[in-house]
Amino acid sequence: MKREVQGPLLMLVGLTTLRISVGETYLRYVKEGLQPFLIFAGVVLVVLGLMAAFGKSEPTAADAHAEGHTHMDGHNHEGGPTIAWLLLLPVMAIFLIAHPALGAYAASRSGGGVARPAEEAFDPLPAGDPVEVKVTDYAARSIWGGEETLRDRRLKLTGFAVERPEGGWYVARMSMACCAADALPTRIEVRGDVETPAVGTWVELIGSWEAPEKTFTDDAVPVVRAETLTPIEQPRVAYE
Amino acid sequence: MSENEAGGAAAQLTEAPPQEPAGPLSRPGIGSLELFGVGIVLLAVGQRWISPLFNGLPALQTWATIFVSIIVQALPFLVFGVLLSASISAFVPPTVFAKILPKNKALAVPVAGISGVVLPGCECASVPVAGGLISRGVTPAAAFTFLLAAPAINPIVLVATAIAFPGRPDMVAARFVASLMAAMIMGWLWLALGKQGWLRPPRKPMAPEGHRWRAFREAAEHDFLHAGGFLVIGGITAATLNVVVPRAWLNAVAGNELLAILALAGLAVMLAICSEADAFVAASLTQFSLTARLAFLVVGPMVDVKLIALQAGTFVRAFAYRFAPTTFLVAVGSAVLVAKVVL
Repeated sequence: MKREVQGPLLMLVGLTTLRISVGETYLRYVKEGLQPFLIFAGVVLVVLGLMAAFGKSEPTAADAHAEGHTHMDGHNHEGGPTIAWLLLLPVMAIFLIAHPALGAYAASRSGGGVARPAEEAFDPLPAGDPVEVKVTDYAARSIWGGEETLRDRRLKLTGFAVERPEGGWYVARMSMACCAADALPTRIEVRGDVETPAVGTWVELIGSWEAPEKTFTDDAVPVVRAETLTPIEQPRVAYE
Repeated sequence: MSENEAGGAAAQLTEAPPQEPAGPLSRPGIGSLELFGVGIVLLAVGQRWISPLFNGLPALQTWATIFVSIIVQALPFLVFGVLLSASISAFVPPTVFAKILPKNKALAVPVAGISGVVLPGCECASVPVAGGLISRGVTPAAAFTFLLAAPAINPIVLVATAIAFPGRPDMVAARFVASLMAAMIMGWLWLALGKQGWLRPPRKPMAPEGHRWRAFREAAEHDFLHAGGFLVIGGITAATLNVVVPRAWLNAVAGNELLAILALAGLAVMLAICSEADAFVAASLTQFSLTARLAFLVVGPMVDVKLIALQAGTFVRAFAYRFAPTTFLVAVGSAVLVAKVVL
């Protein structure tokens, strides 16, 4: 990699980082808390890139190092590591593949069971009619012994529609532990007299709890009986 | 030189002499900078026409989201790590190491190992640093222990691991203990079995005379570009495993405990991801057990294709061929043992 390209490449990666982190695009990929660090990283990269592009580049200790022993790890002697060209790939992916947060496709592929939650007991839901409940929370309560807290309440769930192979549909959310790379779906089967939305549509569902086929196992599927369904815009933070 | 003008970047890359003045406009013909510029323009222009083409391909979009998310998540850690290790290589004289180590070689091993905590070093730097330490009189056993421990147990890596596996501090502890243990075992093994002849007498260490800030800047540039490239390979692999490889295959490998551990350990060797970032790739491999993923995290910073190449270049080939497989076995063994106890 030629010396001259290093600076622009660093700046490009930095600017791309800034572009997605100032604003909300980064929320498709990672958690909110990472924003300040992403911005910092972007700024550092842009500065490094500027210094590389406009700084002096007479042969330095680094060049003496390059001549001193053979590089067999993807280096070109005059300049930077050849492998760095790969950094263009995420830049291109961000610009060219305008992808939304992980949605219906990912949710229909993965396992989608409801994992046993860490806490044993479930607090009662706050007051409100209907009371807003997270999809993952509803699922955990349904399957792992918290159904008493769900009974006889009108509940509001927000999620996107996923096709159910046996007919009907699920309302689903993706949750990520660290970042979109490890996101797993939670799916709730929807029954009731509502129109089946198109796959991937975000909806606000108001309904009530219904008993699932089985409980206390990893592959149980929670059920909700829907009264009303309203299509909505994708929320700011798509992952739960 | 007409073939240069027609052949473009490829010909120029291998032929350009190092002492040509820098500056984008000084070289005639089509250079990589010009190509880069053209590429940027195409990107900006093409976005409008190319993007919609991908909308109908949810598999590709999902792949891309997973790929980008690994890169984005890892980026701040990589930048921090690179800044810190560049500062150390530029501003901390290697004599510091020689002073803090005990004279007793057997004791120097654990001390060198623990000192890896305070000295973040991307594995890219650890091999030249070890060579530099040896040339300054540090006993090789301690230098190797440091070489193996520093990339694996420094605070940035541990924080990254904590973030990648939220709610599982035992994973962080396990990584720390297993990596330190493996590093120390390798150091003691060298004391017992190592032969001086396997080390090429190391060159004078590359002391940045005078221009410390320039050395810092160039180390940071170089390390980030280098590590970034390998991170992209890791991201591509993880995203592909996630979207393209049939679930059934992954489940088959992941289901067999021994196979899972060996598969991920092998993957760690092939992918050569910088240790600040590998936790995020490991986190994405959700089908695999924590033990297998721990093996991935312990093996990666210690032995991978990039490190093997560096070791063969800095020391002697005979050294690399012994060091790498032994480190691999010790690292896997260490990970499995610690996983049984801690996880």
